[in-house]
Amino acid sequence: MTSRYTRHPELRLTELEDEGVVLHLGTRKYFSVSESGLIILNALEAACTFEELVALLLDEYDVSPEEAADSVTEFLDRCSASNLLIIEE
Amino acid sequence: MTPARVFVWCIFQVMSPKIRLQCSDSELGKYVSTWLDEIRLDLPITLDLRLTIVDSAFIPEDNRVPFRQPRVEIRSGPPLRSVGVLWLMGAAHAVIEAKSTEARVSLTTEAAARREELVSTFLHTVLVLLVRRAGWHHLHAATAQDSRGRGWLVAGDARAGKSTMAALLASRGWPVGTDDTAFLARRGEHVVVHAARGRIALRHGGYMLLSQNVGARHERRGKMLCFPEELGAAWLPSVKPDVLLFTRVGDRRSNATAITSREALAELVRWSAWVALEADLAQDHLNLLRDLATQAQGYRVTLGRDLFDDPMRLEELIP
Repeated sequence: MTSRYTRHPELRLTELEDEGVVLHLGTRKYFSVSESGLIILNALEAACTFEELVALLLDEYDVSPEEAADSVTEFLDRCSASNLLIIEE
Repeated sequence: MTPARVFVWCIFQVMSPKIRLQCSDSELGKYVSTWLDEIRLDLPITLDLRLTIVDSAFIPEDNRVPFRQPRVEIRSGPPLRSVGVLWLMGAAHAVIEAKSTEARVSLTTEAAARREELVSTFLHTVLVLLVRRAGWHHLHAATAQDSRGRGWLVAGDARAGKSTMAALLASRGWPVGTDDTAFLARRGEHVVVHAARGRIALRHGGYMLLSQNVGARHERRGKMLCFPEELGAAWLPSVKPDVLLFTRVGDRRSNATAITSREALAELVRWSAWVALEADLAQDHLNLLRDLATQAQGYRVTLGRDLFDDPMRLEELIP
């Protein structure tokens, strides 16, 4: 079964100096994310699969499919650990 | 539960018509009205503050995780859309519904009798949440303007030297807005900071640096209180910050380190903790903080003895 990811509804995002700032209203924690992380979190306003997120990075950056997949995996893991995502199995 | 008392409402028109006060206790109403006059918030819209004396504490059930501030607890977020404020020093509670411009406060006669504490801790917090409805977002910061017209914002905790610097700068003629209660708002393309006019609160050591016999002693807080005007400065109702200082007090010579906009934003979020309350307002608040971090140059500053002896050295540190 394919997992679908959505950003937590209590996140607020803003962009600064080509990077992202994330505020979690529920935990009241503040995070900064890279430009690519911000692109992913913006996309996750609607539910996306892992493959859709990899395709998004491939559209935006000149990287190999393996590099894009690694980046998405690492980013989703970090976001998940910080309760920034809703994951539907 | 319905309060058993039959109310005779008193409507107090404060000097600024922007906060309409209704209170069922005339003595408390006069006191709160005087406070609202004194802080002089020139809000862009009219807000309502309604105080009702009840026979017993009326506190609605609210199981949301509280956000704790000194002497108050604030509850916001799902499943309710309101924000609630509970006073921890007495029986008083306030509710502001989402998108409402009215704060409804219920309190007992005993709580109302502690007027000074009620205003300085509980109603101050209610006001901070209420004025968010007018697009004003609170920041723990002092504000001032230098001789070149640059706007300064000094943020930090209660021991960061904000009040002492504000008083010293006022004594040297810099217009000063506030030593602690600032409100961010948008004016055209800029972020401006409005000040709640109040007395600068100084501990003994800070007051002695002034070498002036002014102000009034506040016994409960153990501090001396001085309006900027008493120190020789004009009151500064609002300022467009060009310089952001994030201060701490140190033993060594003063120093300043320029920081990036991202670092400044992280600091601003820290000193504007209300940003994480109320989902409807959080994005606007966060965007204001971001724009302020971009608009002004931020510095981390250690305030040493040299700066307290000669506050004008601040202009050498931040040329």
